[in-house]
Amino acid sequence: MTKLVRLRLIATVSAAALGLSAPVVLAETPDDQLVVGFSMTNILTLDPAAITGKETVQVLANVYDGLVQLDPVNRTEVQPDLAESWEVAPDAMSITFTLRDGAEFASGNPVRAEDVVWSFRRLLTLNLAQASFLKTYGFTAEGAEQAFAAPDDRTVVVTLPQKINPQLIIATLGIVGPGSIIDSVLVTENEVDGDLGAAWLAQNSAGSAAFTLQQWQSNNLALLTRNDNFWGEPSTMRRIIWRHIPESQSQRLQLDQHDLDIAFQLAPADLAALETTEGVQIQTTPSAGFYYLAMSMADERFQNPKLREAMRYLIDYQGVNNAILPYFGEMHQRPISGGFFGLLDDPGYTLDPEKAKALLAEAGYPDGIDVTLRALSDDPFLNLATAMQGSLAQGGVRAEVITGSGEQIYGAMRERNFEMIVGRGGGGQLPDPDSNMRALIYNPDNSDEARLTNFQGWRTSFSDPELNQMIDAAAAEADDEVRRQLYADIQNRIEEVVAPIIPFSEVVTSVAYRDDLNGFVLNPSWSTDLATVTKTR
Amino acid sequence: MSPTSRMTGFARQLGTIVITLLGLLVLTFAIGRLMPADPVRAIVGEEATQDTYMQVYTQLGFDRPLPVQFLMYLRDVLTGDFGTSIRTGQPVINDIMAVMPATLELATLAILIGAGLGIPLGVLAAVKKDRWPDHVIRIFSLMGHSMPIFWTGMIALLIFYAALGWVGGGGRISDYYIGLVPPVTNFIVIDAMLAGEWDVVRSALNHLILPASLLGYSSSAYITRMTRSFMLDQINQEYITTARVKGLSRRQTIWRHAFLNIRVQLVTIVALAYGALLEGAVLIETVFSWPGFGQYLTSNLMTGDMNAVMTCVLLVGVIFIALNLLSDVLYRVFDPRTR
Repeated sequence: MTKLVRLRLIATVSAAALGLSAPVVLAETPDDQLVVGFSMTNILTLDPAAITGKETVQVLANVYDGLVQLDPVNRTEVQPDLAESWEVAPDAMSITFTLRDGAEFASGNPVRAEDVVWSFRRLLTLNLAQASFLKTYGFTAEGAEQAFAAPDDRTVVVTLPQKINPQLIIATLGIVGPGSIIDSVLVTENEVDGDLGAAWLAQNSAGSAAFTLQQWQSNNLALLTRNDNFWGEPSTMRRIIWRHIPESQSQRLQLDQHDLDIAFQLAPADLAALETTEGVQIQTTPSAGFYYLAMSMADERFQNPKLREAMRYLIDYQGVNNAILPYFGEMHQRPISGGFFGLLDDPGYTLDPEKAKALLAEAGYPDGIDVTLRALSDDPFLNLATAMQGSLAQGGVRAEVITGSGEQIYGAMRERNFEMIVGRGGGGQLPDPDSNMRALIYNPDNSDEARLTNFQGWRTSFSDPELNQMIDAAAAEADDEVRRQLYADIQNRIEEVVAPIIPFSEVVTSVAYRDDLNGFVLNPSWSTDLATVTKTR
Repeated sequence: MSPTSRMTGFARQLGTIVITLLGLLVLTFAIGRLMPADPVRAIVGEEATQDTYMQVYTQLGFDRPLPVQFLMYLRDVLTGDFGTSIRTGQPVINDIMAVMPATLELATLAILIGAGLGIPLGVLAAVKKDRWPDHVIRIFSLMGHSMPIFWTGMIALLIFYAALGWVGGGGRISDYYIGLVPPVTNFIVIDAMLAGEWDVVRSALNHLILPASLLGYSSSAYITRMTRSFMLDQINQEYITTARVKGLSRRQTIWRHAFLNIRVQLVTIVALAYGALLEGAVLIETVFSWPGFGQYLTSNLMTGDMNAVMTCVLLVGVIFIALNLLSDVLYRVFDPRTR
């Protein structure tokens, strides 16, 4: 072979190779399939009674119906779902739900009142993660038999175990997880050793919503197919493919390339870049919980209210919200979620090192104090901690930042063994101020032995008997005007006694999606209904 | 070597393997129990009450003393029971069987690329020692060795997927093909061929080529370096000079004599590189959302899924023991001196 011939051969072969793999215009997802990217790391089970994270809620919201559902736009409204109507008894101690006629599960079994009752009893008997929503209001495994009854096929009677505003219970039953209604016939067929179908439901679904679970592979994908027995308007989507894409940049690339329709977990830098990308839209909605700075009152120094108050003036509220929390949080200084019943205006705290120094001096620390400040090593916590370290220093609070995994940071908080922490949490999945109050402030037993780790009030060793009483009273009150006043009083008292958890931002969720999707409404409770989404091409 | 001494040699090797395995079991148990992650918390979630926590804690057997837990672990492993994964609720061994084909697919193509690139380049570098091809090859392999694969993966995706559109992005196939092909072998290319879904075959190859090339390039660096030094050892030996003096051509001395003498060593390093690929594809699997063993291991570390982590570590250990054993056997087969 001469050199020239050889060169020509190489050129031809390379050209052919290139030609074969030339771009086929753009890979577009088909019209009748929805491809959604998110991180599945927190999904350990798809059993509605045992799920723990918002990612699972996002999947299961499309698989299971509740008696009622929470309105995605007006977040305090409750809409009918499997129940077409409900009535509260005159003594406000029971609620009677009437089921819609003709609803079927994906299996073809009819949805009966018995299934509803079975689902709630199962939840309380298993006593896993989602049971805490009902347990908070006094429901127990022992009392479940009495609390949930089915006098006939279409009637469900919920009897309240204690005096509590029935609206709170109705809303709780609208949450995906505790409120999900399960096909008891199908699950009982797959029961193993009296586990109430827990093993089977971890991998399979038995719901009545628009989609049904075809396949779940841990950390890879969840494949939903349209439920042909769905009682409502059938979705135009034949399948929803939930893909585990842990890298924000990979999600962004795939969204850019039309390989993905919706990207749930993008970092701020990628969201900012996508903001100007043609064909991509971003939706931001308030979500559950707050970013907060918290102190432990197990540390003697923080038992002094002056010292806690000083911290209020050492947070750069504007700065962190503008610089660190775009797409993640919005400035918010009250422990009640935005838009919720009874929320007061922000008290208007600003960074004021001089005032803080004066308070520190009054508290007996004219030279400032040394503290440790814990934060997760992930985005945005590390950045928040660094910013806090700077602003705290301006007032003489010398913070040593400790970063680590969830176990090292929140684990220490649950052990009540920390000084300060930059964290996230505070209820709000239930669209009522009571949810926030219980998560952040309520603490009925401040002893170490009580181990009320689900109450962040307990974790910070903060306990104010009067506030506990006020929170209980507000939850039991049925009259809206009285209730509004009670929450105003509670918020004022929280400021007055200087609770050791200082919210500086409300959590928001930001999602990017292709703009040829219609009807995509991000749900603040993470339970976005994708059945209504259509594509126009 | 007499048959009896061969037998004792074999027995000694077997003994070493048993002791190594036992040590590995102690190690994996220690890792499982000392990890700063709480599997109970992972199951019950941040908001769970203490009684829910304790209920699961007891169910998982954490209330027993550590030595008892170790004996239970030993008994289970010896009977082939590696426990149930927290994350999937499935026996860990089933999970691993399900993710392994994805990694094998990637690693096998990668090692073919790595060895196909590394061995000829190593030989060339040795032959052209200290001349320009040697320098070029050294720089090329140094780059492969030192650039973080996480970064090169992202850059390669930007160029070949986002800008040029030549290859597929993350995952093993385009997402909308998922579920079309019934899993038979779990090797997606093979399964798609069996099902006659040629679009899926194309999509799978399109997704495989980029991560496999990157991994192959990175492991070729090691193979090139080792090949070069093995080859130099041979070239400087007297028999090569003798062969040349006898009138054999340069090409013949290199490939027929020197290369044949290093093939056993090459098999060993390629086997080790393959072993490293099987467990070391962690970063590339994350970047490419590749649902393989590496991603399985990391995400279980994050959740504190102890049974899964312990089994993964054990498996990696066993793979390396097996590869070492294999190369030992190959030495005996190919090298008459060890027979």
